Amino acid sequence: MQRYAINILLCVAAVVLIVLAQTETLDKYVLNIIMLIGINCIFAVSLNLVNGYMGEFSCGHGGFMCVGAYVGSLLSVAFFTDSKLFGAALFAPELAPFLFPLVLFGAMLAAALAGLIVALPSFHTRDDYLAIITIAANYIIISIIENIDAIGGSRGFSGMKKTVNAMSDLIDLPWMLIWTLIGVFVCVVVIRRLMTSTYGKGVSAVCQNEVAAEMMGVNTNHVKIMAFMVSSGLGGLAGVLYAHVYGYVNAQSFNLLKSTEGLVMVYLGGMGSITGVLMAAVAFTLLVELLRFIIPGLNTVFHDLNLLPASYQLDQIWTWVIIPLTLILLMQFRPEGFLGNRELTHVFPRLKRWITLK
Amino acid sequence: MIRVSNLKAAYGKIEALHGISFHVEKGEIVTLIGANGAGKSTTLKALMRLVPPEAPTVTGGDITFDGASILGMPAHRIVSDIRMTLAPEGRRIFGNLTVMENLQLASWSRKGESTDKEIQHVFELFPRLAERARQRSDTLSGGEQQMLAVGRALMTKCSVLLLDEPSMGLAPLIMYDMFRTLKRLNAEGLTIIVVEQNAHLALKVADRGYVLDTGEIVAEGPAEELLHRPEIKAAYLGG
Repeated sequence: MQRYAINILLCVAAVVLIVLAQTETLDKYVLNIIMLIGINCIFAVSLNLVNGYMGEFSCGHGGFMCVGAYVGSLLSVAFFTDSKLFGAALFAPELAPFLFPLVLFGAMLAAALAGLIVALPSFHTRDDYLAIITIAANYIIISIIENIDAIGGSRGFSGMKKTVNAMSDLIDLPWMLIWTLIGVFVCVVVIRRLMTSTYGKGVSAVCQNEVAAEMMGVNTNHVKIMAFMVSSGLGGLAGVLYAHVYGYVNAQSFNLLKSTEGLVMVYLGGMGSITGVLMAAVAFTLLVELLRFIIPGLNTVFHDLNLLPASYQLDQIWTWVIIPLTLILLMQFRPEGFLGNRELTHVFPRLKRWITLK
Repeated sequence: MIRVSNLKAAYGKIEALHGISFHVEKGEIVTLIGANGAGKSTTLKALMRLVPPEAPTVTGGDITFDGASILGMPAHRIVSDIRMTLAPEGRRIFGNLTVMENLQLASWSRKGESTDKEIQHVFELFPRLAERARQRSDTLSGGEQQMLAVGRALMTKCSVLLLDEPSMGLAPLIMYDMFRTLKRLNAEGLTIIVVEQNAHLALKVADRGYVLDTGEIVAEGPAEELLHRPEIKAAYLGG
């Protein structure tokens, strides 16, 4: 029983969150941030598979999130809503809560297939060269979507709120929070189980030395395809959840800046550490949000102290000065991130008594 | 068993092997010796069918195993089907895995089978590894890492083992131990091809030897005889 303490605690925390959201004790803004944390967790943990465990440098993870977001949105709109684009709903809106996993699955599948754009070139290139390919993949995906006028082009695409509303109409629950929590759980379990399997050892071997891996009979091409597809597929899961939480997607929200956010979370947490990256995703999302309040505060303080000319106002642009600056400081003073490539249970072995990881 | 005929191999436009031929029979220890840049490692990489940029492209000739060409096979199938593997130069162990995990990984090509017997065998050959089984392998000493590299190669249940500079960076005593172990593995039926800078030691344990010089085989014969040939003594054995 003791060994499951933390597992149970996490389940209880999830239930408490859902109850709080249900009774509207949490206001909409806080709830949105919690969901964004969840989405960032999925985004970062999935990127960690390639950048952390496999040691490749993928800078285009936002592109796969984009594919997931769009394909998920289109499926969701086609399945459950009457729209100009697809005509009448394919299924009765009452089925939305039950068939929503289909939408998630479709989005993940599409994103995983998009992952092939990177996986196939990875057979012959690696390191910097592959990094450039991943950036190119990010651009290709965004440009393609932006230039399809039927799905809104650069105006973006909306209509997913109707699906979410259809779910709440049938059973009044904070559906997106529930799906996000399930998403985080699935993502962590999939990556964890993968990495403890023989396949996972293959991924570590590819990271360390491809030739040696090949000499051990590891089919490195196979391992790479699998790792890239799982990673981008789960990135797509983050995308489809994002699309439904906000009810609107725009290809430009998944550009290189988004991919960079993912990299920041992975390097902040520690490459190849699921718990580290989870912590980093929470810390990073909170930091971005807190700066919304801190910067106006700093602005007032600086003006009161006459440190800034009255004509100049500190605005939100400074978020993107402060965050990269934190990254520079981090690389200087703790280049391995929060946990390096170790898990929380390695740093604090006593935790093992309270948790069972499968 | 392995027959290399007129093998030509190149890195890009630069030809590294200008048509070499040799053969290795079952149960033999064969050594390839020669100076730096003679093409010894290139030959092993070509045998293992590794791909560029790490390894050369084969531009001519053939490599056959029991009569069938293996040129079309990817490296991991050479390991799993031909049962030939390479303990590469510089060890290249998986530093972020423990000793045990390194060994378990090597059984990748036969997923699902139990590996306990092979692990026991490796631990019996190299008792030091047993002591360090749960330790991350990048914390091992150079000699232990070399033991792990050989042990890991054995875990693939190979019948032919290629070794690239197994003595590199080892203290003399550990080096002799390593070669003694290779001799024992050979007596158990393993075919070994070893590339060595330490030509004297290699010829001592080998049955036959080939001397490479700038991509060509310049001498061959029983190891014992090579050891006593004056021109080889002068060029490779330090007088």
